[in-house]
Amino acid sequence: MAEHLAPYDTPLHRDETAVAGMWLFLASEVLLFGGLFLVVLVYSHTHAAGWAAGVRHTNLAIGSVNTLLLISSSAIYTLATEAARQGHERRIIPAALGAAGMGMTFLVLKGWEWRLEFREHLFPGPDFAISGPEAGGAQLFYSFYFLATALHGLHMLVGIGLIVWVCYRVRTHGGRPVSPMVVDVVGLYWSFVDLVWILLFPVLYLIGRA
Amino acid sequence: MAPMPGSERNYLWQDGTVRSWLLTTDHKRIALLYMASITVFFVLGGIAAALIRLHLIVPTGAIVSDETYSRLFTLHGIVMVWLFLVPSIPVTLGNFLVPLMLGARDLAFPRLNLLSWYLFVMAGMLVVYGLFRGGLETGWTFYTPLSTDYTQGRVLPVVAGVFLSGFSSIATGVNFIISIHQLRAPGMTWYRLPLMLWALYATSVIFVLATPVLGITLLLLGFEHFFHVGVFDPALGGDPLLFQHLFWFYSHPAVYIMILPGMGVVSEVVSTFCHKPVFGYRFVAWSSISIAAIGFLVWGHHMFVAGTSLYAAVVFSMLSFLVSVPSAIKVFNWLGTMHGGAIRLDTPMLYAMGFIGLFTVGGLTGLFLASLASDVHLTQTYFVVAHFHYIMVGGMVSAYFAGLHYWWPKITGRMYPEMWGRTAAALLFFGFNLTFFPQFLLGYEGMPRRYATYPAQFQVLNVLSSAGASILALAYVLPLVYFTWSLFRGARATDNPWQATGLEWRTSSPPPTENFAQAPIVTHEAYDYAALAQAEDATRRETPHG
Amino acid sequence: MARVAAWWGVLVLLVGAQLAMGRAGFTPGICLGAFLMGLVIVFGFMRIAQAPSLAAIFALGGLFWLAILLALGSLDSFTRTNFPVGDSLSAPAPDGSAAQGAPP
Repeated sequence: MAEHLAPYDTPLHRDETAVAGMWLFLASEVLLFGGLFLVVLVYSHTHAAGWAAGVRHTNLAIGSVNTLLLISSSAIYTLATEAARQGHERRIIPAALGAAGMGMTFLVLKGWEWRLEFREHLFPGPDFAISGPEAGGAQLFYSFYFLATALHGLHMLVGIGLIVWVCYRVRTHGGRPVSPMVVDVVGLYWSFVDLVWILLFPVLYLIGRA
Repeated sequence: MAPMPGSERNYLWQDGTVRSWLLTTDHKRIALLYMASITVFFVLGGIAAALIRLHLIVPTGAIVSDETYSRLFTLHGIVMVWLFLVPSIPVTLGNFLVPLMLGARDLAFPRLNLLSWYLFVMAGMLVVYGLFRGGLETGWTFYTPLSTDYTQGRVLPVVAGVFLSGFSSIATGVNFIISIHQLRAPGMTWYRLPLMLWALYATSVIFVLATPVLGITLLLLGFEHFFHVGVFDPALGGDPLLFQHLFWFYSHPAVYIMILPGMGVVSEVVSTFCHKPVFGYRFVAWSSISIAAIGFLVWGHHMFVAGTSLYAAVVFSMLSFLVSVPSAIKVFNWLGTMHGGAIRLDTPMLYAMGFIGLFTVGGLTGLFLASLASDVHLTQTYFVVAHFHYIMVGGMVSAYFAGLHYWWPKITGRMYPEMWGRTAAALLFFGFNLTFFPQFLLGYEGMPRRYATYPAQFQVLNVLSSAGASILALAYVLPLVYFTWSLFRGARATDNPWQATGLEWRTSSPPPTENFAQAPIVTHEAYDYAALAQAEDATRRETPHG
Repeated sequence: MARVAAWWGVLVLLVGAQLAMGRAGFTPGICLGAFLMGLVIVFGFMRIAQAPSLAAIFALGGLFWLAILLALGSLDSFTRTNFPVGDSLSAPAPDGSAAQGAPP
């Protein structure tokens, strides 16, 4: 057993272990966001009118652009993992950085959207914009909206950080082939963050809008 | 195996600098770091408990104000649950033993393991900061809207601390599950795993899948508290019961986090000290997994009187009874193992037998609380307090001490003083029963929990309970003293002082940093004492030549 | 390369379909769109079918426990009988809060 590999037997064993570990961590993340979706399930049912009023006030244009950005980002990052698998090291960094750039754009747009919403007094509180019988449900919606987008944004930041770290590792690896596992594991996380957004998008922007 | 004449090339002394300890990725050292940390928290929570029992000696309350009393039992609950019981066996004995029992060099992700300890320490400091800079009066359950809108305590640092400790748990859980899947030694099939590992695997499933829900719950709570927005706020039409559902989705399975590892320890100890294979190995193994799975289906029984729908309450009540099936399987199988065995009553076995008895009492009284009608009478009384202390203190703390004594020779290379160990085990059993059995009676007679004062008619039982608590305190202090003593003066331990079968006993005591001089190969079932005897015969025959 | 581009095309089409469903207010269609997009991500980009079998086990485990959380967690809310009380912000009319939670 090579000592630097311990506690693994072979590089393949190490890589499979890391990939399995990431999947298990993602299962854990599913339950983290699952708690949020339980809140959605209950409140969108018990406060249907107010919840829908909240959905109608979100910015569908920015939301849709952001959705397109994220699926494209995830697709481009997948190109990086394919390049790593096939040993085309040079193609990793451009694809990965492209994906991270799109992620940054997403966050900038999201920040702008937040800014608009703060201006419109859509952050729950005493001077909340929506009044009338739907105010309570709409406030619940916006509490959820801000927490969910903040939590998702935090995951985006972590993901972008991981991608930059992958690029750094590929760059400083100096000739020796980099293990595709590292690129792969970060890709799993990045696609998962995308997946969460895909489930958040209809909840925040579509269901109840019409 | 490897005799080490005088040389101290084991994990404890290989590199003695503080830096090497704080940056270690050796699972054995991390286990010891954890052990030191949770001991501190155990003492802290224990002091709070002692003050509570002292206060309740007289009906009007002896020493603190009502408000301080609320903060004391909150401190006791939060520290004991999240900073002692939840981590206790997994992060100390589990961390130490999982790779050894698997025959592996380390856990699958050694650096993640170290990170989990740092997260835990930060979590502990945040919680302690919050509890000492004012504390909070919410109880360990943080029910809204008390915790969000009406509290005058320090909710945020405490909640942030518990949140962080959750990440530490998740890291540990991921590490254990992946290690058990990926790092088993050649020949170590699933049904050859020691039952301790099955129990830890089940625990880790709960760590990984329940803890994130606690995380999001606390995030929602902190968000509501900090920004004064409605999430669970009934004034906005929010649903405080939703908080309770989310909270108990974690916290009921967390009860099994706090008992499953203990069951694992007891399986090992009972088998070793009866010198018999565990009766019905596969049933015991799968009962761990099914306890973990069913444990997720029953949380509603904490909320029978909270105003949930009757329909949901009936469903949760019926599901709750299901958990008793795998728990009973375990108890019967331990008794089956002991039946006809040559039982040696060493300290670990005394603790384990205490565990079986106290866990049975705790489990059976749980049935009263799972039944809708009797729960309406008993909930929020001392009956509940007694019930879960029988599981957590009588069960888990007994098992923790059983495990500590059992593996102490392996961990430190020293034997503890047997006579003192037996004394402490007996004291724990008697002190515990004297403390908590009267509380069953108090609860049955209707004394509510969480009050700083009580009607005079309950005084006799309360004084009995407090007297028991002082014996219990002695039973905790005693091991602290003789374990410390044994570190320096205890007799040297042999590699396998108990004639046990696990892989961890095949390496030296204490093990070398790399765990095994030669990577072990497993050729026998778990608890195969005949094979152990054969192997020892073979070594004995070889020794004169070697 | 072509595989990824194809999956990306499918995703864009699904987003379009979702927006159309949203305009029509057809909620099951929106949910189906999100579900299909999720499948594309998991099978197309995360390549769960090519990963070690542990990955699928963990993913299924996560979904199973998610189902428990959502099903048993919403059971109570959906079957509870709520009695109207004063709702200080939103309900001058008492029926505003009574709308919630009638048994289905």
